Amino acid sequence: MTGWIRWTAPAAAMISLSAPAHAVQYLSVSEAQKLAFPSASFTEVQPGRVWKTSSGGIFVLDHVIGKHLYIDYAVSIVGGRVHRVDILQYRESYGGEVRSPSWLAQFVGKTSSSPLQVGADIRNISGATLSSMHVTEGVKRILAAYGHLR
Amino acid sequence: MTPLTVAATLLGMSELALAGDGAVDAARPYPGDNGASQVLLKKMEAMEQRIKSLESQLKQKDAPPAAQKTPAAISDGKPRGKANRTLDLAAAPAGDLVADAPLPSQTAAPAQTAAPGQTAAPDQADKSAKSAKAAKPDTLEKAGDKAILGLTDSPIPGLAIGAYGEMLFGAAQNPAAGGQWQGGADIRRMVLLPTYAITDNIIFNAELEWEHGGFSPDGDDKVNGEIDVEQLWIDFKIVDQFNWRAPGIDLVPIGYINQHHEPTQFYSVLRPEIYNGLIPSTWMAPSSSVYGSIADGLGYQIMVSSSIEDFGGDFSTRTDANTVPTFPTGYPGGITGLDALGLARPTISDFRQLSNTVAVAGRLDYSPPSIPGFAGSTSAYFTPNTTPRGAYADDGTLLGRSSLTMVDSEFRYRIPNTGLELRGEGVFVTFGNPANLRANNDSDPTDNVGKTMYGASGEIAYHFPLGTILHSEWEAVPFYRYTYENLQTKGFAGTDLNTPTGAGQLQFHNVGIAIFPSPKLVLKATYQKVINRDPAGAQSDSVLGGAGFFF
Repeated sequence: MTGWIRWTAPAAAMISLSAPAHAVQYLSVSEAQKLAFPSASFTEVQPGRVWKTSSGGIFVLDHVIGKHLYIDYAVSIVGGRVHRVDILQYRESYGGEVRSPSWLAQFVGKTSSSPLQVGADIRNISGATLSSMHVTEGVKRILAAYGHLR
Repeated sequence: MTPLTVAATLLGMSELALAGDGAVDAARPYPGDNGASQVLLKKMEAMEQRIKSLESQLKQKDAPPAAQKTPAAISDGKPRGKANRTLDLAAAPAGDLVADAPLPSQTAAPAQTAAPGQTAAPDQADKSAKSAKAAKPDTLEKAGDKAILGLTDSPIPGLAIGAYGEMLFGAAQNPAAGGQWQGGADIRRMVLLPTYAITDNIIFNAELEWEHGGFSPDGDDKVNGEIDVEQLWIDFKIVDQFNWRAPGIDLVPIGYINQHHEPTQFYSVLRPEIYNGLIPSTWMAPSSSVYGSIADGLGYQIMVSSSIEDFGGDFSTRTDANTVPTFPTGYPGGITGLDALGLARPTISDFRQLSNTVAVAGRLDYSPPSIPGFAGSTSAYFTPNTTPRGAYADDGTLLGRSSLTMVDSEFRYRIPNTGLELRGEGVFVTFGNPANLRANNDSDPTDNVGKTMYGASGEIAYHFPLGTILHSEWEAVPFYRYTYENLQTKGFAGTDLNTPTGAGQLQFHNVGIAIFPSPKLVLKATYQKVINRDPAGAQSDSVLGGAGFFF
């Protein structure tokens, strides 16, 4: 019966110890900025929240609640359209599918007049219903608030 | 009130004043309306005067928080109505965009977000927010922004409390009363979901459940439910591909609904039939897991857990030696041809497991990017032995080992750009040695078990948007689901006579509608027709209504 403990405990311990000690953080802010606007320089217009780029883009950092915990994400906007959405950090055990590049790609090109509704122009993720809904609402609000910024 | 509080309050009020024109406009939405709105209008004008005087006082003071407003003004290139939203969001730090609360640094605990101005005067900010909201209801504040039950911000950084629950009512046939239709209601469950992110990588999670209205030792309180710790574990998030769930109570990763059993996840009032026996949901067990994502759209979980046990008797009848009640008392089996595995869940209680056996379960989840809207999973469970300590046949023969293997595959497919949704599931259970199952040795010739059990279901649903009602997007989802189950297949072995009545061959037709006033709420109505091969019939049809929530 205890055989499995003899096998798995050392393995788990080794993997835990050898694993990198950083958070399950997929991107740092500067990495996300680089991904969105590779060669631009950034000017902070709201500390820690909104940046304008030398190329005329806008980079907004935000968070929403997934099921219970925060999801940190970034939206970059060019000319009133979503240029890119990235998940910087996802903390919950379920619903991490919102990180899927193909799901996030759906936001590209959306404007403040797009419906941005899960089940309509953004597809629902089965098993990540609340996360997908809240991220979509978040992007919609960012577009409403910053979509007009030039 | 501290000076900062006063300043924040005044700041809130000055925002309302800025929004004044819009607010007055919003106060006259019904031109034909008589006295009431006139009175309201006068009140608001008086309020506006008061606000203006307070505002001028504030200007003289040149309060420091005024400076904090500047960044928000950057985004405020829109008409006045915008100010209302700014204010609303200021009262809701999470998900707040326009107010200038800084995000937490990426290493900080998630909820440490409120800017000083917000924490200083949450009440006041809230009040101003509410009055602004009354004037202009189209705010963007969402329950999803709040950590405690969707109502308030978390008082402890990282702590969140969610909830789900469901109640049902209606009429159902009672097989014990010869199929008589009887009306009734049940507060089926109310569940609190505390989650605490100790750090971004170490996360505590629990599910505390009250079923059937709770539990009371006093019979005259007229509740006969239970209170359970249904989940309790700590996750160590290591890397995306590999995370560890420390030993605790967790849900066995089989199928979809066992782990995602909130009432907003399925459309019928009752859980899908496959999860009412073949998969004994809510199937929780003392366990530990590893999980992670392998690639885009591909995730896994592997769990070791305390094995299900072939014992369906009262907990208190376990002996002090942790065996089944000694011969010749007798005991009901946990695996039967009538209830499937419905009574076979392992105990989570008091070191009273009836075997040392450890089971292994694994699940692969897939949502391939090439098929948008499709999600599915394949999972399996294996235990080398389900026979409890001291198990015996009614003739006194000791029962030996019997393994159990379960395989499940299911999908959910929401066809993009349409309202159409399809779901399907199949589950197959094999018993290693049915001769050692208690049901086959309990002198009851009708509840015997064969070599296997299986079930399959198919469901079609359509999502109709109903538009915005009461500031929420409503959706109606009519559905039909067919389920076939065979719990008494061939391959019987044991000391019993074998004369099953046909009650183990079941068909279920479910037709109904689920109305979602928001994705977090659901109102349901379902007609269920149950057919079996018993000459007396299943006598278990029902017409049920229900309400469920999950936030």
